[in-house]
Amino acid sequence: MSAVLRGNLRMALSDVRGAKWRSVLTMLGVTVGIVAVVTVVDIGGGVKRQIVGTLQHFGPGLIIVRPGQVSDTGSGLGNGKNDVLFGLSSASTLSMQDLQTVQQTPGVSTVAPLGVVPGVATVDDHKSSKVFVLAANSNAATVLNQKVSQGDFWSSADENAQTAVIGRNVGQALFGEPVPLGRSFKFRGQDFIVRGIFAPFDNVPFSPTASFNDAIFIPYQTAAHLTQNTASLYVILAKASNPKQTNGVTTAITTKLRAAHGNAQDFTVLNASQSAGINSGVIHLLSMWIFAIGAISLAIGGVGIMNIMLLNVTERMHEIGVRKAIGASSRQIWSQFMMEAAVLSVVGGCVGIVVALVVDGLLYAYSDLKPVISWQAIVVATLVSLAIGIVFGTAPAIKAARKDPIDALRHE
Amino acid sequence: MGSIIELQDVSKLYGFGDATTLALDEITLDIDEGEFVAVMGPSGCGKSTLMNLIGLLDRPTHGTYTLSGKSAEHLRPARRAKIRRDTIGFVFQFFNLLPRLTVIENVALPLAYKGIGPRNRMKQALNMLERVGMNSREFYHPQHLSGGQAQCVAIARALVNNPKIIIADEPTGNLDSAASRLVMELLSEIHKTGSTILFVTHNPELTRYATRVVYMHDGAIVHDEQTAIGEIASTAREVMYTLPVKTEEDDLAGVSTLMKAVPHAAKPPRATAKKKTAKKAGSTKTRRRATRSKV
Repeated sequence: MSAVLRGNLRMALSDVRGAKWRSVLTMLGVTVGIVAVVTVVDIGGGVKRQIVGTLQHFGPGLIIVRPGQVSDTGSGLGNGKNDVLFGLSSASTLSMQDLQTVQQTPGVSTVAPLGVVPGVATVDDHKSSKVFVLAANSNAATVLNQKVSQGDFWSSADENAQTAVIGRNVGQALFGEPVPLGRSFKFRGQDFIVRGIFAPFDNVPFSPTASFNDAIFIPYQTAAHLTQNTASLYVILAKASNPKQTNGVTTAITTKLRAAHGNAQDFTVLNASQSAGINSGVIHLLSMWIFAIGAISLAIGGVGIMNIMLLNVTERMHEIGVRKAIGASSRQIWSQFMMEAAVLSVVGGCVGIVVALVVDGLLYAYSDLKPVISWQAIVVATLVSLAIGIVFGTAPAIKAARKDPIDALRHE
Repeated sequence: MGSIIELQDVSKLYGFGDATTLALDEITLDIDEGEFVAVMGPSGCGKSTLMNLIGLLDRPTHGTYTLSGKSAEHLRPARRAKIRRDTIGFVFQFFNLLPRLTVIENVALPLAYKGIGPRNRMKQALNMLERVGMNSREFYHPQHLSGGQAQCVAIARALVNNPKIIIADEPTGNLDSAASRLVMELLSEIHKTGSTILFVTHNPELTRYATRVVYMHDGAIVHDEQTAIGEIASTAREVMYTLPVKTEEDDLAGVSTLMKAVPHAAKPPRATAKKKTAKKAGSTKTRRRATRSKV
């Protein structure tokens, strides 16, 4: 029997080779499905790794106070809530008082505000649309756990100074040189001097509207002065002195802030692990959608295989007759056509895996998504395509096997 | 020698109701082991249907078929496939080689269905190709062979499982006279090794290879005669030299002339055309039947 199986496998491979175009078109459905599924899984893995990386990057003790409500579930895409970590796109209900409140909560070691300051930074009338200005305080570098690679961050003594620390990309975009230390730019009519440049932020995936690499950080009090206090606080970052008590401190901040806001819950306090939960909810939803698309495509691919195999069986009826005449049993004919369907779908699946890996590579090279290749997804994809071949190959194979030898032989 | 093939009142009907056609009409035929039987008759007379029944490709509608002493009409498909594989070799008019397989793979295919390993089956297939003189073309594809060569390969494929019975449905129908001779001589050699061979032909000339000639008309056997190898059957001889046999149409024309020459075929039909003559020892095994055709 195994000799027959091997013979059938070889025959199936040569049949697939023989009818190249038809085979390619047949496999396409399975291929697309596998590409979709594997890529989604890999992107999901990458996103997860980025979240974990972000958490580790900012350190476990980070607590984020955001204006407005962020619901835990059902957060759809495109409603602005995907910018959860830093909430730069929301209207603010937080004030300087809240910053004080958070600062005074027991267990909080450092606090930094963060807010977008409207206005355009120019250097000799040159401006860049990418660059935006954030107000922060001297603790920002510590709280964000980010190194300043050139120069230094301003100290608490300079909270009123017209000084700035810039993200990695700002130098090239605005000043036309990578390290514009000591150079100045104009912002809302005032001159600011660049005193430090952040090392590249590599993990801020959920602020698509605001990569910190494009940000100019200026002292919060200077900003407040410039804008006559109209610049609002978009986020308050706090660091728990003992990272293990982060959840407790989060609760304490919530209680205090709620009291300060007259019992109104018009803010959200999150620590890094909670926000990761929200984000993975978004990712989950996205994954489900693409997974569904992948599954539909796989089902269509399977139907395609069934269709082609039925056509194949009809076209080769005479051959089936000849094979039966020289002694092939129905079982052997069945096994031959099963094998062909399986080969078609597994080859389609393998092509899909290869394409998915290429897509992963391209995404890695040319986008912010950094997919992680998952061998589980590859194994599952192979098994799924095999299963599709078996499920959708059964009916045609049975049709071929059941055919009466003389009817098959008469078929031209 | 006992009968290897015994057909008793075998009929085959096709279609339903008004459209029913009678392909075989109560055929009774015994074929002994080692016979070389030529089956002749006009197109549509049921020769192929008879071959398919004997070869277990088809089932009779009525009647009994005993193959090698065992009843064969109620066998399960798997069992029939096994018998086709092990005891029957088929040779077809249009060769029916699988175009995607090479010559040697085609020949080895019945062995593959038997479950013999690749190395062994290639060896046996090569031996068989040597026997039919095609061993230099083992890796050709069938479409690169001449008709005669393809038929030799098909014969090698039919022989590879050492079948007791070879069934050849117009093996020379698609070949020129040189290739026909090649194929018939090959079958003749196989016959010498003890195989039972049945072949269908339109060409009276080819009856010289046979030991027995069966004439069919409208689904019935109308004449059956023993003949010596090397001699054209006596009935066939009557038309042999009156018609030039060069094309298939001539062949067919020859056959219809032949049917007139058949002693009992031209008799007017009887009301009960089912009378059978007793089998006589030493005589031919003919079950003479009146044909339903009017002259």
